[in-house]
Amino acid sequence: MLLSVLVYGFINSVILAMVALGFSITFGISRVANFSHGGFYILGGIFTWYGLIKLGMPYFLSAGLSIIIIGALGALMYKVILIRLRGLELSEVIATLSLGIVILELLRGLGVFGYEFRNPVFMDGSVDILGVGVGIQRIIIVCAGALLLILLHFFVHHTKMGLAFRGVAQQEHTALSVGINPDLVSMLSLAMGSVMCALSAVLILPLGVISVDEGYDILIKALAVCIIGGLESTLGVLVAAFIIGYIEVLTSMYISSALTSVVPLACMLGILLVRPSGIFGKSKEIEERV
Amino acid sequence: MNMLSVKNLTVFYENAIAINKLSISVNKDEIVGVIGPNSAGKTTLMNTISGLMLDTKLKEDRRGGIRISIFGTIEFLGENISNTWPDKRVRKGIALCRERHPVFGESDVEENLKISGYLSSKEQLKESLSLVYDTFPKLLAMRRRKAGLMSGGEQQMLAIGIALMARPRLLLLDEPLLGLSPNIQAQLVEAIKKIKQQTNMTILITEQFARPLIPIIDRGYVIENGMFAFGGNKDELYGNPDVRKAYFGVDYDEE
Repeated sequence: MLLSVLVYGFINSVILAMVALGFSITFGISRVANFSHGGFYILGGIFTWYGLIKLGMPYFLSAGLSIIIIGALGALMYKVILIRLRGLELSEVIATLSLGIVILELLRGLGVFGYEFRNPVFMDGSVDILGVGVGIQRIIIVCAGALLLILLHFFVHHTKMGLAFRGVAQQEHTALSVGINPDLVSMLSLAMGSVMCALSAVLILPLGVISVDEGYDILIKALAVCIIGGLESTLGVLVAAFIIGYIEVLTSMYISSALTSVVPLACMLGILLVRPSGIFGKSKEIEERV
Repeated sequence: MNMLSVKNLTVFYENAIAINKLSISVNKDEIVGVIGPNSAGKTTLMNTISGLMLDTKLKEDRRGGIRISIFGTIEFLGENISNTWPDKRVRKGIALCRERHPVFGESDVEENLKISGYLSSKEQLKESLSLVYDTFPKLLAMRRRKAGLMSGGEQQMLAIGIALMARPRLLLLDEPLLGLSPNIQAQLVEAIKKIKQQTNMTILITEQFARPLIPIIDRGYVIENGMFAFGGNKDELYGNPDVRKAYFGVDYDEE
């Protein structure tokens, strides 16, 4: 029992981290809180499903195309809507949230409901870890999550565009005065966050059925993880994902599985009371020393 | 050869005038100083030349905030760049070292410089890095230090380094000596002289207290309330008793 908490808690935590990472990356760089995250997530899953089941494309092609389309959608959302609202945080939230709701409710209206909407797992079978049987899909998720983190670290610290991302995130006008275009960087950060969102959808959705309500659930989970960890900190996202991940698994195993969906929100409210900027949030640790 | 010419520049914040029909010009290979008291419009002038003002104006317009109006023309190498966006102006060869050294505080020194080499190729990046480290050996010793944890003088050195990484033809330095100790000021002035000798950059520099700069500038403008007040080469500036009293801290009979 304890071992299965350990193993499943770990996997659940990685899933949460993957879901939250896209949201956190976008916010950390461009300060846009992308509340259409849940909508993009389900849309990515549905596109993959449509290409795979309805059009008969190979799995990787259908998944790859969906990820690209969702990334382009994120960039388009910045270029068409958000660019006019920069700096008006509330309007940004309203715009992205409405877009997310429109996507999700449109899918509901088009009849996305039921067991039919289901992406197959990449590979059948299960492996024994510490005496607990774990499906291969979950193993793939954990490996992909680790790989994604390594790639992300390399991108941000060792490529020109990644360094430009860091520059804009820290001092927009200084970045601008050495030739970095913040609007381009913000657009790319939205594309990147959306790509990560769709990627996590492709990996995670085969574990269950694609449902519209899952979209709202994902948004709340991503938000909770980011707020608990501190909105722009990747380390914070990881730590928070593990905290919520384990509490969720413990709750479902020892209390009631009906209560698991309350866990992220309860943790989020708790953190907001104690430490509003999150565990690793920047609460002015590095004050400018003039 | 004329490099930069600002003609009849006028900038309003709402109805308050920050720069009033100001014309200045900078020739190639010169070091030109713009001297003036607080709120004379020095930073507004620099931000308008670098183009940052366009971005500020756009953001204020989007937000419905302060109404900024800019009139007049800015020419760089004979081309009118008044409506060119700041990142494009950097490509043309203008880089600004902003007032009060706003560096990338979370990154270490080397990462700050690498971020600022955004437009350079790999070889150019190496070259610029060695120029910066050569000019400020202190930065080389601190290359793994988080920029936000450095002292004001060190951050100022880094801020100049950041502007150098953009490999400008015209380097704009906005009050690089502000709030620093005389010792650090002297080091920075030495460094600016060295940059000039090694790279042949043209430099436009603003300052309030101009005495430390006098040895290195070729010409200077004095601006007050956004208007041209006095201009000339350094001997003319130093020879004018009013200017000398107000900006060099030297009184009539002191010599």
